[in-house]
Amino acid sequence: MIEVRGLTKAFGETSVLRGIDLTLEKGSVLVVIGPSGSGKSTLLRCLNVLEVPTSGTVAIGKARLEFRPDAKPRLADVLALRRQSGMVFQAYHLFPHFTALQNVMEGQLTVRRTPKREARAKAMQLLAKVGLADRADAYPHQLSGGQQQRVGIARAMSIDPELLLFDEPTSALDPELVREVLKVIRELAEEGRTMMIVTHEMKFAREVADRVMLLDGGAVVEEGPPEQLFERPREARTRQFLSLIMERSF
Amino acid sequence: MSDQSERLLHIFTDSFLPLLRAGIAFTVPLTLISFALGLALALLTALARLSEFRPLAWVAGFYVWIIRGTPLLLQLFIIFYGLPSLGILIDAFPAAVIGFTLSVGAYGSEIIRAAIVSIPKGQWEAAYALGETRLQALRRIILPQAARVSVPPLSNSFISLVKDTSLAATVTVTELFQKGQQITAAVYEPLLVYSEVGLIYLIFCTVLAALQRQLERYFDRYSSV
Repeated sequence: MIEVRGLTKAFGETSVLRGIDLTLEKGSVLVVIGPSGSGKSTLLRCLNVLEVPTSGTVAIGKARLEFRPDAKPRLADVLALRRQSGMVFQAYHLFPHFTALQNVMEGQLTVRRTPKREARAKAMQLLAKVGLADRADAYPHQLSGGQQQRVGIARAMSIDPELLLFDEPTSALDPELVREVLKVIRELAEEGRTMMIVTHEMKFAREVADRVMLLDGGAVVEEGPPEQLFERPREARTRQFLSLIMERSF
Repeated sequence: MSDQSERLLHIFTDSFLPLLRAGIAFTVPLTLISFALGLALALLTALARLSEFRPLAWVAGFYVWIIRGTPLLLQLFIIFYGLPSLGILIDAFPAAVIGFTLSVGAYGSEIIRAAIVSIPKGQWEAAYALGETRLQALRRIILPQAARVSVPPLSNSFISLVKDTSLAATVTVTELFQKGQQITAAVYEPLLVYSEVGLIYLIFCTVLAALQRQLERYFDRYSSV
């Protein structure tokens, strides 16, 4: 289970997150939507401690960490929390000097200290799962954007995280490549992976989400099951945002 | 063939082996040892300058400032002729190695620092997201990519160093250039002998440039994304 309480993040004087609370049951999918600058990505990055939250508590799996504005968190605590989640980046960020296989082995070798043979077998299994078993020895620059992002997903899963975080996983992709990536994410949802996804793909959000959360100005505007949020939004701000998004896609 | 040109030919052939020997016995080891040690020093200095621990960054910055701001010839003189006043006596060859190592360390650190900084931030984040520590990310992800970026400018430093080792002549190391001076003093044909010295430097540098191409080809197996 994932629990976030009173999470805030400020960059200098600018408040990006203003007290986020959320609970995510094991095996469920939360989709986070919202206008750009609403703090969606920052929220995800705070859960992975790529940004250190200013205050609040984050608990994922067995790790729990309370952040305070006046104290830097201990590195061991940060690593322990970070290792509970896997991150899929908008721009993939694959390691260019490693093959697809080596990308998926890296975390297993350095962080989990898995023996090489075992790490390789598991990496092959994960690549097969994202449909790239035949491209295991390719370097990232030899792969299409969609293939790179699928390797990115396999890499995020390679450390057996409690939670998978997706930061706009299809925003950097050509439209014809979006589908293959969404298909992989959909399959993971069906498998019962716990996931948090920031996306602008509303149709996909509706299909895959157990809950949807609209963020604006660093605060939660509305949260609920997709049918409710998309069809019977309670807040005027939600209706306004959805109509803007719909306009854009037609 | 006139007597004069026959004499020149003799001088050329007679001095070729002694010059080559001086090059192989002194110029080459001086270059290789200084560059290897200098590279290690350069890496440590670059990391120190990028460190969040300010005093370390400051010490490294001070060292680079001193070495880059004064002539290499002067530094060699201080090490070999100056330090004995403090009771520190260093033989000619190690004194030259120290001088060249400090030089490679300072200039090389700027190359390596720039290469590390040029690796996109996303690479650090991807490594951190897997749970790697800063040291693991540096060793496994950042430095291998920085090495690729550094090969051309570091090769430049390496080739410069081959020629800079001629400065060791001034602290009594009988390397290639010093040997040329000795032969010139005996036969008094400066144009011929110094040209021959130049030819041998050219041979060394050509071999090194070929090695650089091999290294670049190795790194070309991937392209940065």
